[in-house]
Amino acid sequence: MVCMELSGQNADIKSAKDLGLVTCRRCSRVWPIETEVCARCGHAVQSRDITSLQRVWAFWVLGFMCYIPANMFPMLQTRTLLQVQEDTIIGGAVELFHYGSPGVAAIILIASVVIPVAKFMAIAFLAISVTRPSKVSPHQRTVLYEVVEYIGRWSMIDIFVVAIMASLVQLNTLAAINPGSASLFFALSVIFTMLSAQAFDSRMIWDVQAEATDHHAGETET
Amino acid sequence: MTDTPPTLQVKPARRAWYQRISAIWLIPIIAILGSLAVAYQSYSSRGPLIAITFSDGAGIAKRETELRYRDVTVGVVEDVKFTPDLSGVQAMVRVDTSVAPYIDSSATFWIVQPELTAQGVTGLDTVLSGVYIEGTWDNDPSDLVYAFDGLEDAPLFRSDEGGLEIVLRTPPGGSMTDNSPITFRGIEVGRIGKARISPDGNFALAEALIYEPHDRLISSATRFWDTAGFTFSVGPNGAEIDFSSVATLLGGGVTFDTFVSGGDPINDGAVFEVHPGETEARNSLFTESEVETLQVRVIFEQNISGLAVDAPVEINGLNIGKVQSVLGTIDREEFGDSRVRLNVLLAIQPARLGLPGEVTPQAAQDFLARRIEGGLRAQLANASLLTGGLKIILRQVDDAKPGEMRVAENGLPIIPTVDAELADAAASIEGVLNRVNELPVEELLESAILFLNNATALVGNEDLQQTPADIRALVGDISGVVSSDEAQTLLVTLNSAVGQFEQLLVDVETARLAARLGDALDTTSAAAAAVADVTGGVPALIDQITAVAQKAEALPLEALTQELTDVAAATASLLESDGAQSLPGVLGGALGEVEATLRDLRNGGSVENLNAALASAREAADAVAASTQGVPALIERIEAVAAKALDLPLEDLSVELTDLAAATATLLESEAAQNLPGDLGGALGEVEATLRDLRAGGTVDNLNATLGSARDAAGAIEEAANDLPTLVARMRAVLDQAGRTIAGYDQGATLSRDVESTLRDIQNAANALESLARTIERNPSALIRGR
Repeated sequence: MVCMELSGQNADIKSAKDLGLVTCRRCSRVWPIETEVCARCGHAVQSRDITSLQRVWAFWVLGFMCYIPANMFPMLQTRTLLQVQEDTIIGGAVELFHYGSPGVAAIILIASVVIPVAKFMAIAFLAISVTRPSKVSPHQRTVLYEVVEYIGRWSMIDIFVVAIMASLVQLNTLAAINPGSASLFFALSVIFTMLSAQAFDSRMIWDVQAEATDHHAGETET
Repeated sequence: MTDTPPTLQVKPARRAWYQRISAIWLIPIIAILGSLAVAYQSYSSRGPLIAITFSDGAGIAKRETELRYRDVTVGVVEDVKFTPDLSGVQAMVRVDTSVAPYIDSSATFWIVQPELTAQGVTGLDTVLSGVYIEGTWDNDPSDLVYAFDGLEDAPLFRSDEGGLEIVLRTPPGGSMTDNSPITFRGIEVGRIGKARISPDGNFALAEALIYEPHDRLISSATRFWDTAGFTFSVGPNGAEIDFSSVATLLGGGVTFDTFVSGGDPINDGAVFEVHPGETEARNSLFTESEVETLQVRVIFEQNISGLAVDAPVEINGLNIGKVQSVLGTIDREEFGDSRVRLNVLLAIQPARLGLPGEVTPQAAQDFLARRIEGGLRAQLANASLLTGGLKIILRQVDDAKPGEMRVAENGLPIIPTVDAELADAAASIEGVLNRVNELPVEELLESAILFLNNATALVGNEDLQQTPADIRALVGDISGVVSSDEAQTLLVTLNSAVGQFEQLLVDVETARLAARLGDALDTTSAAAAAVADVTGGVPALIDQITAVAQKAEALPLEALTQELTDVAAATASLLESDGAQSLPGVLGGALGEVEATLRDLRNGGSVENLNAALASAREAADAVAASTQGVPALIERIEAVAAKALDLPLEDLSVELTDLAAATATLLESEAAQNLPGDLGGALGEVEATLRDLRAGGTVDNLNATLGSARDAAGAIEEAANDLPTLVARMRAVLDQAGRTIAGYDQGATLSRDVESTLRDIQNAANALESLARTIERNPSALIRGR
């Protein structure tokens, strides 16, 4: 991959596109740029995925839509003998903080609020940054993308916690923990953000950088 | 073909905008449309928001407290806030669309929370789940109302429940426990709601509900009474405490019964009076008319004490009602001053007025109004002179000021009054007191003092004081007369006369008694003499018996046996003699005769027969004695035979005879022979017993004679026995000779058999005698009855 050969912010970096080449993203075979189907594995070969950004935004919107009810509806329904308590994510964290567990509250807040929100912001930033010049270097943005893609799966830890607790605490009438409706939306939100992150074609980061360089060069020429 | 065509700058065709749009956008669009649809649906399906105002929050919580209808959740509280003036709490309830059309002006709401009352615990489930708002409304959808005032408590009547709504009214001055059950035969069939005080303050009124299937129990003849508390009574059956249930004991209650049939069905809103107890309720059937009473008001100008509630109201002496309440009233506008007037409320029974046609309060009121125009007035009158109690009479006053029945603002007609004629009674009492006062008490007392003084003087007179001494002397004289000798002699004479009379009686009695005693003693002595006579014969009898016994004892039986042995030996030689051989037969016959005689005696059947039998026995004994007297002759004959036999050469015979003797000895040693003396003794004992039995029969003499004969026989036997030694000697000689002379004589066996049979016969006879004796002994009466 091109991006693997980073060696500093060198303006002389040639992309495969510049060299008239295209690579199969499944089997990594490099073909001439006209090639449409990889002769080795049969995968469609495309120099740049023109619908990539659309898919990013579509999944981003879906993820964000799901994230709203995920925060509004209760995540966990705790039923004890006398009462039924339903906690939203933020409400539960605030309650934990009041009960003297700021550490746990912080973990919940970070895992369930800060990271997803940061993910949304990061993906949106990346998607926007490839369409217009950005001050952030492509290298940093690539790192950001890597981090986003890596960290995306860990957002599911909330869902795991809910699933484990719901399956463990089932004492009939005494006490029971059931997943609230928010857990479903939260899971969907995570899934959609992961898809959104995956749909992002990271090569575009470098295209933008190349265009910017060209533009810069043109400016200097004139 | 060397030139390669110039590389064409092929630019991809610019695609249409719709081609550049990825299909992935469908997903968020679908999601948005879906969520919008859901949002619209939830918005469109949510019901109206109504505001219910309560005086306090009572635990209502946002989004938790539910609105329930028939215990099904039909809404939830969305918000709780204060009313603008802070006078209450407003609960905003989002109502389900399913019930929203029914929440109209008929709807009522109240908060259900745990409640502990005497009737039990309610709303216990809300302890855990929290309070909820309960609502009720009728079944007709109507215009939606958005603001309600919540009730403090659960309402008695619920729009969704059927039942008969009635009003219970306390008697004047009575009390009532509200929120209590109405029971019928111990079953709760209804409830009393919250009581309120009637506008005029005379009653407490409470609405009550009779649940649906039980409302047919209520008719116009139904009477209600209070079962609250308990009644305690002490009567002839002991103390009794009575209460219907613990719940009514604590929380009060009302029950009812229809004592008479024929009541009319009633509608909602009917008013019933709650009587204090069952007895009053029962009595009310007779004291109260079946229709409602007419309530009229009377305001008396006078204010006289003594009028009390329940005082009678009379018209021409007829009780037509009673005083229901007595109040004071001050009405400056009406009367022109601020004096307190007596404001009396009367309850008049229309039925007692004897109205023709319909008996209703209105009819009674019309009747009274007509009469009042004709001069009928209310007046206070004395009910009892003793207690000073008052009553109200309606009387015709001819010269009354014109008046009419006014209907006051509060709806009660007012009857005009005339002044009471109570002064008469007061005056008469005063007159009595005046007369008492005018009595000449002082003069009376003076006279009394004078009289007492005179009495003192009289008592102090000396002549009067002398009187006791004279009386004492008189008593002394009387005492002297009484203690004089003559008086005392009189007593002695009287005493002796009585003594003589007593003696006379004694004599009379004794004479009769002595005669009777003499007779008795005579008879007794005669009896004693007879007894002595009877007993006198006894010693002689005993002597005779003793003699017999002695003789029997003296019998040399052993020697006799030995000699009999010899006799037998000698007899053997006489076997050829017919006489000798027939002797056993004769003896057997004699014994048979004795036996027969005894048998006859046994079969006889009377005392005469017995005597005859005893005589026969005596004869038999004589015969025996005679026969034994013949023995010496026999012996002599035997001697002759022996002498004859002496001459015979009988050496061989001796051996046989020896054997014979041995056989005889053996025979005699046999039990039967040895038992013979015992048997004889037993026979004698039995005879003795028989004699004892027969002694009373007057046969003693006969017995004596018999015994005499027996003694004779014994004497003969003795005589014969005396001859026996000689016989023995001679027999020995004969035997000696016979032993020498008789040999080979072979008829011994026959002889021995004969002897044996003879002895057996004798034994049989003895046995028969013994059996006879036993029979007599066992059953002495058989001798008399002959059986």
